Amino acid sequence: MSLDTNEDHGDHGGHHLPAVDDWPRGFGEASWWPFVTAVGAAGIYVAAALFVLGRGEESIVDPVLGPAAFAGSALAFLVGVYGWLYHAFVVNFWERGTDRHSGRTLRFAMLLFLGSELATFGAGFVYYFFIRAGAWPPGNLPHLVSSLVLVNTAILVASSFTLHFAHVALRKGKRNRFLALLATTLGLGVVFIGGQALEYYEFIVNEKFTIAEGAFGSAFYGLTGLHGLHVSLGAVLLGIVLVRALRGQYSAGRHTSVSTASMYWHFVDVVWVFLVVVLYVGATV
Amino acid sequence: MVPGQLALTVLMGVFLVGVAVFLSRVEDWRSYRPAAGSGGYGEAVGEVRREKPGGLVRWLTTVDHKDIGLLYGTYAVVAFAVGGLMAFLIRVQLITPGGAIVDNSFYNSILTSHGITMLFLFGTPIIAAFANYFVPLLIGADDMAFPRINAIAFWLLPPGALLIWVGFFTAPLGVGIEPAQTSWTMYTPLSAEQPNPGVDLMLLGLHLTGVSATMGAINFIATIFTERDESVTWANLDIFSWTILTQSALILFAFPLLGSAIVMLLLDRNLATTFYAVGEGGGPILWQHLFWFFGHPEVYILVLPPMGLVSYILPKFAGRKLFGFKFIVYSTLAIGVLSFGVWAHHMFTTGIDPRLRASFMAVSLAIAIPSAVKTFNWITTMWNGRIRLTTPMLFCIGFVSNFILGGVTGVFLASIPVDQVLHDTYYVVGHFHYIVMGAIGFAVFAGIYYWFPVFTGRMYQRTLGKAHFWLSMVGTNITFFAMLFLGYLGMPRRYATYQFNEAIAPLDLVTLSHQAASIGAVLLLVGQVVFVWNLVNSWLEGPRVEDGDPWDLRETGQHDREFAWHERRIETAITDGGSDQSSAGDLDPAGSGDDPNAAGGDDPTAAGGDDSNATGDDPDAADDGRDQ
Ligand code: HEM
Ligand SMILES: [Cu+2]
Repeated sequence: MSLDTNEDHGDHGGHHLPAVDDWPRGFGEASWWPFVTAVGAAGIYVAAALFVLGRGEESIVDPVLGPAAFAGSALAFLVGVYGWLYHAFVVNFWERGTDRHSGRTLRFAMLLFLGSELATFGAGFVYYFFIRAGAWPPGNLPHLVSSLVLVNTAILVASSFTLHFAHVALRKGKRNRFLALLATTLGLGVVFIGGQALEYYEFIVNEKFTIAEGAFGSAFYGLTGLHGLHVSLGAVLLGIVLVRALRGQYSAGRHTSVSTASMYWHFVDVVWVFLVVVLYVGATV
Repeated sequence: MVPGQLALTVLMGVFLVGVAVFLSRVEDWRSYRPAAGSGGYGEAVGEVRREKPGGLVRWLTTVDHKDIGLLYGTYAVVAFAVGGLMAFLIRVQLITPGGAIVDNSFYNSILTSHGITMLFLFGTPIIAAFANYFVPLLIGADDMAFPRINAIAFWLLPPGALLIWVGFFTAPLGVGIEPAQTSWTMYTPLSAEQPNPGVDLMLLGLHLTGVSATMGAINFIATIFTERDESVTWANLDIFSWTILTQSALILFAFPLLGSAIVMLLLDRNLATTFYAVGEGGGPILWQHLFWFFGHPEVYILVLPPMGLVSYILPKFAGRKLFGFKFIVYSTLAIGVLSFGVWAHHMFTTGIDPRLRASFMAVSLAIAIPSAVKTFNWITTMWNGRIRLTTPMLFCIGFVSNFILGGVTGVFLASIPVDQVLHDTYYVVGHFHYIVMGAIGFAVFAGIYYWFPVFTGRMYQRTLGKAHFWLSMVGTNITFFAMLFLGYLGMPRRYATYQFNEAIAPLDLVTLSHQAASIGAVLLLVGQVVFVWNLVNSWLEGPRVEDGDPWDLRETGQHDREFAWHERRIETAITDGGSDQSSAGDLDPAGSGDDPNAAGGDDPTAAGGDDSNATGDDPDAADDGRDQ
């Protein structure tokens, strides 16, 4: 794409001017959305605090307060994120011009975020390796390597491929193929999450293996839970991309959020493979 | 208990009111009110009004890096005052062996909150304040790479602080939420087993501030990598931005790891998991490994940018270029890498494998080398220089002096046999306070004074600045030297009282040393009152700076980008922005994107030579015409 290279720097900056029809309207450097988003996000922490305070027999606050605060804050958070992303990226998608610079920056930022995710997962794995190096097994292990896990793994790995080829199709301008593969990816992701839920159900209800089940239970639910949250977030991101794609956005030259969402999805996929190897297989051998 | 708590509550209350008053005045003074403007410049040009909304709304909605920098700064100074008052109560308590004012559990609470407040609510944010305001100016960027993420990251901080401090407000109500008493290291099993839900709230607050720091770090790295002006290359990137870049990389790995460790602790506390359970789970040692894997990089997260500030400011008042610029950059990167390999020097006495211990000792001693490289470079920069003892320079020199003491004591502690004697004594407290107060604090003051004309448009009162320096310098050295001495006497850290048996330590001498430390603390307190007064008063009423080069840096070719920006702002304000040029500029998002004076070639300090032609091309500095 030779014609892009020279405008790489030339258009330095125009993209920074927050949208003029942002809220509040008409100001160059003002937006309510970050504030709303932050209040929502912080509210989720406050809700967690209220939840802690509402536990037990002599709860300090009413137990419904935590969940209620969570619902309210999550709503505020989502509204904030919506307003922010909508005004920053979606509303004037085509008018913003092909801005290679900001696309590069966004991909780079996603890479950095994934670096921080390594540390987030790292702490949990360190715990697992800590106990794995000790006396093993620490109590009864559930039936870990089941057909369910294998199928689920295959599904998630397949979803990475479908996503990759969706992206390729988009870059070649084959829009329908892109849409179909993207939708397939999202579907596979949702099936994966369902499979995880099913496994949790099996373990908790049938095998009576819960998070409070001792050293391995903490590792298992800690790591799979953290991963599950990530897959869910990934599904939300893919969902957003899909909706935008269905509404006619993206083209062979304009696909930044397709690539950032894919980077995230591939990362989560790789973590899962690692997790299956060390946590599922590694615990039983 | 009750009097101490009342005292603290009242102090905090008075303080918060003060801040509110200050904020409201600053805001009036700074906000742009179209009706009051002379010709309404810039207003109707194009479709975008460059200005921001007025009043409080401006601050809540801002996505301008300079405004966000000011928000961070205000927040950090508030936290500094709160943490400082807690420290002062600690020092008053320890005047007598039996404890002078508060009971043991309240002592534990303020000890814990002091550490957490200073490290997470003052240290990281004040650095973010400088970085937000100045990195984009220094690298010729329009703004941060992600202005809105920048705003979100800031707004996560105040709720984080509230969660961390809330125990102090709820304790008097008797509802059962007390401030945490875990110490800043939150060692398990203590932190896992204390039933007080205030611990949970503190952990949640910490997690939130960690999320904020990580978002900020991603933003800074992206900004420095992708938003540099074409004329700013890696070879002539300024030293402060280098340290921010390294620091952000450390944050990127350290804070998320702490976040996960904290979540595991929360799960242990609330959902009966066994992450840190003694016996079956990972045990207390796991917490220490995770905590210090974060914790040691954290100390460099806090010290690298201040080192950058000193490396940046000190040459300006020595009239010379920074000696060995490249080596300072390399040593910064070396410290960044090595800092992840030394964490177990905090665990020498826990009984970890001796072979492991020895290797951590080796790396810890090695990390002293890049630190020493920097120290020699600062000294050689001053050597034969034309030293001007302005307030920022005094603080830079104080920084070097205190950093030497803090660093040398660190090297002693990094040696296993010495550490086995001194671990968990006041020697350790003395060591790191020489660095966190004596070095980091001083560099922050240097930065505030040096850039005061830029971010306020006014000048501070120089005599008060010097008084602030001398009170701080003398106070720091009395207080923390006394602590080193207390460590040699065997005084363990963290105790609320010290009425021990004469056979353990000479009680008279210990008491005397504690009193000396407290006297130093009085000097420090007075010094900081002078500082805050000077800051607030000069911001509101200080003489306006009409000179684009208030530090006379042009003579030595050190008039850098941020002062070039400052100068353009003054000139645009004088000529008023009515010209065609300024209306064109109004469509350009911010400051110095197309600043031509950056042609300074490879020499990082020479960028100012040709800035006389800077003003013509960059009229959009009009956006700060609001200040007039
Ligand atoms: C010159 C290199 C340095 C070395 C070799 C060093 C070494 C050490 C060692 C071995 C300890 C553990 C002492 C003990 O608990 O027994 C320690 C504690 C500490 N150091 Fe350093 N240090 C250095 C620089 C720094 C810097 C630059 C900072 C701050 C920015 C710092 C902050 C701390 C803190 C906060 C603690 C105490 C943590 C705690 O137990 O609460 N050190 N240092
Ligand atoms: Cu350390």
